[in-house]
Order: sequence, then C-alpha cells, then structure tokens
Amino acid sequence: MNDNPVDYAALSAGQTVSRQVCLLDDATISAYVAAVDDGSPLAGSEFVTPMAVAALSVRGVVNDLRIPGGTLHLGQEIEFTDAVRVGETITCAAELSQNSLRGASRILVVGLSVTTGNGRTVMTGKSTIAVPA
Amino acid sequence: MAAGDALASVDHLITQEAVSAYAEASGDFNPIHIDAEFAAGSHFGRRIAHGMMIAATVSELMAGEFGLDWARSGKLKLRFRAPVFPGDQIQTRGTIKKIDELQEGGRRITCTVVTVRNPSDPGEGDSEEVAITAQTSVVVA
Repeated sequence: MNDNPVDYAALSAGQTVSRQVCLLDDATISAYVAAVDDGSPLAGSEFVTPMAVAALSVRGVVNDLRIPGGTLHLGQEIEFTDAVRVGETITCAAELSQNSLRGASRILVVGLSVTTGNGRTVMTGKSTIAVPA
Repeated sequence: MAAGDALASVDHLITQEAVSAYAEASGDFNPIHIDAEFAAGSHFGRRIAHGMMIAATVSELMAGEFGLDWARSGKLKLRFRAPVFPGDQIQTRGTIKKIDELQEGGRRITCTVVTVRNPSDPGEGDSEEVAITAQTSVVVA
C-alpha cells in the first residue's frame, strides 16, 4: 500500500494506468504456487501456472494505482493466449476502460495485457474494482 | 467427455498464513487481507482472502483437467459473490456446459464453475455459500 492518494475521479478511459516488467524466475513462481497450494500438473513444471501471470498483472494495477485499503475486487475476465515458460520476462500493461461512480464507490474497469520479451501476447483481461469514493 | 460431465473438484483450507503468503507472492498488501485491526473496522469485520487467491482454484481445476491447453487457450469470466475468510474450507467444482466443434479444428469446451465456502455434503443441509461464479472455456485438440 502506498499512502500517496490518487485522484481516481480524474482518471479517464483510455489512460494507461500501469506498466510493469516482471521476471518469472523460479523463486517468484514457486512462491506463488506455494501460496495458492496449486496441485495442478502445471505447478512445478517448466511452464508458469497461468494464474500467476494474471496475479502479477493485477499487482501492477494495485501498486501503480495505489489502490487503497477497503477496495473490493468485483469481477475478473482473463484470456490466456499462450503458455509462458519459467524464466521468461513479461510486461504487464493496464489501461482504464471505464470510470464511474456507484453509490459510495468508484467503479474502475481496467483492461490488462501481458506480453513476453519477444512480443508474444500471452494474456489479456479485464479487472473490475470498487474503490471507496 | 460430454455436456453435463463433472470436472474433478479442488478443495482447500484457507489459512491466514496462506493469505499472508499470497500477499507476499502477489504484491497485493491491501490491509483488508493482512491487517486484523484495519479489517475489524471494515464492512466484513475481519480479514478476507484475496479474490485472485480464491480465483486461482478455478484455474487449478481447469489446469488439472486440461493441462497445457488451459495455459494456451483458457478463458475465464468470474464474479466475486462473497468473501472467503481465513479458516474457511473452500471447494471449487465445475461442469461441462457444452462442447463446440471448431471449423479450424479442435473443440471448444465451455464449463460452469463455482467456488463455495464451507461446502456441505448432499443431505447435510445447506450451510455452504457461493464465493465465486465463473464461466470458463478451453480449446482442445
């Protein structure tokens, strides 16, 4: 959490709100797999368990938008388009697609895109969150 | 594999230790997940697990059934319906909704998936609560 406030009302659709580069090394992926206790065959394989990619893309939004405590994650859409190998570097980009006020919350819809170093798109998605207004 | 078939379910006990480990692994340190004092003053009254941590069980279920095809072509659309609290037992289960033959080859398998907290066995009453509803799909050869 970052204490510096963001003026969420001033964010506009089409605005890039996050861009982060992340190395998916064995330590990073192993920590993720252990935390979620992933028992699928992809966990521990040469491939990254795909939800780790999604989690790291959401991390970029959480950190770069300085999401405050009390924010709720309402919905999530994800499309995986290619497998990622452990050791690859990904770039996670996020663009605001919707910003509206609903009651005591500001609803932000953020589009996600994840590419590898050689330009392969491996994931796209959309996060819907409710930030206390 | 046919419409109506059940997928192998995934069960987990959600502990505060796991939630804290997820915060470290994901970089999401929202205090509603890790700060008991902050969470006590929140709408939920106590700490809750990260939504994406619980959503990971949907991906685990699909990867368990479809392996690398899930990583290469999986689609997931979900809603978080209710929070999951440390100490909750959760179960994620799915059913094949339909299978479409694709013109370019292969089949797209669409599934309905739900995650419940405190699952109850048939005949034990209805103590469970839906935490996530999801629709998933994957393309297989």
